[in-house]
Amino acid sequence: MYKNHYNPVHCIIPPYMLTRMMESDNKKIADLAINSNFRSVRFRNDRIFFQKASLQEKTILGLIDKQSGKEAMQMEVYDCKQKTDFTGANLLWDSKNNQKITSVAGKNAIKGGKAAWDFYWQLFGRNSIDNKGLLIKQYVHFDKGMDNAYWDGRRMVYGDGDGSVFTSFTSDIDVIGHELTHGVMENEANLDYENQAGALNESFSDIFGIMIKQRYYNQDVKKSTWLIGEKVMIGPKYAIRSMKAPGTAYINHPELGNDPQPATMDKYQNLPNTQSDDFGGVHINSGIPNFAFYVAAFNMGGYAWEKAGRIWYAVLTDVSLAQNAKFADVKNLTIIHAQKIFGINSSEVIAVKQGWSEAKV
Amino acid sequence: MKIKLIRTGGFIPITKAAETEVNLSEKELASLLVIIQPDPAAPRIKDGNYYELTVGANSTPVDLEKVPDEYKDLFSKLKSDLRIIK
Repeated sequence: MYKNHYNPVHCIIPPYMLTRMMESDNKKIADLAINSNFRSVRFRNDRIFFQKASLQEKTILGLIDKQSGKEAMQMEVYDCKQKTDFTGANLLWDSKNNQKITSVAGKNAIKGGKAAWDFYWQLFGRNSIDNKGLLIKQYVHFDKGMDNAYWDGRRMVYGDGDGSVFTSFTSDIDVIGHELTHGVMENEANLDYENQAGALNESFSDIFGIMIKQRYYNQDVKKSTWLIGEKVMIGPKYAIRSMKAPGTAYINHPELGNDPQPATMDKYQNLPNTQSDDFGGVHINSGIPNFAFYVAAFNMGGYAWEKAGRIWYAVLTDVSLAQNAKFADVKNLTIIHAQKIFGINSSEVIAVKQGWSEAKV
Repeated sequence: MKIKLIRTGGFIPITKAAETEVNLSEKELASLLVIIQPDPAAPRIKDGNYYELTVGANSTPVDLEKVPDEYKDLFSKLKSDLRIIK
């Protein structure tokens, strides 16, 4: 959340280069480097400080307004009436007035948004997307037949689906939780949206999305189907992704063919980092860390959010998680956090290691 | 000339395309492509869709939010005609 406070050009200078620049005989270069380094140190220290601060401390510092300090979810749901203009969208529902609405997509967005907010607040004390009580804005009925849902940096947007392959993207709580988690991610590790870091970004959204759904329906690791978007995709045999068995969410689909997700690192797809190739296959290779999480959570047993969820949340909010992290980096951090939370030789640490081992990372 | 609109990306990355015949001069097309080119500094939308326009062998990324009024119907029809590329 503090990453945008300074010039992004400065951010991309690696530390070793900054050190060399600070020692430069050219005063302008040295000043620039010192200034940049100072800001980097300030940023990191600020982030650590604010991350450790209690809700009360944050409220005292004015980072949270009074209403948010009372753990009040703030949410608005808008109807785009199948247009693409956000400014012309009608307010359907807001948490202050709690209007009665008839729109199914609107009701779904409220249900999923509340489930996601409750999940983050009740389990991790996280106050909304930015941990400062951000007003959650959701837009339903966006565009005509749009078969998609996305997070644009400010809001969650859902299409109604094309009616033949997909129905409304509000139909599954995991999809809503997935989009809200993209917002959480942007305020935390903010992983690059490309290649392995992008696949991890997508995986964190699927992981928290599925746990939000499991918690809402009181499903333990055995009861859950571990399917993402099982209602959104039309047809009882189909879902958008399977975390339990990546690559099997849809087989021989008349329009989509076969699910392209790999479950293991030896099947990682090296795709070009272009728009048309999903920025290096961020929605494809996410199957690998998804599978690692599934195995870890399943082997721990019980409810996924009670143990595995705590570990993955600790990683998501760990300041040492680099924006360009690779699968191996997250593997190491999940082991470290499992050791910290449950003990070095705990069964949870073994389960985490088993998860990454099964995914061949 | 024939133009093809291609949509990629999304929560589930699928490619869709639609094409149509248009009565545009090369100059008009070039001018349109300049107007609707995406902002290269725009942050990547998580799970967002991306569009490109193909004319002959050339493909250019486009931002449909920037389409001028006189071309809105054309792109609206192209969008509604988008079909999954198998």
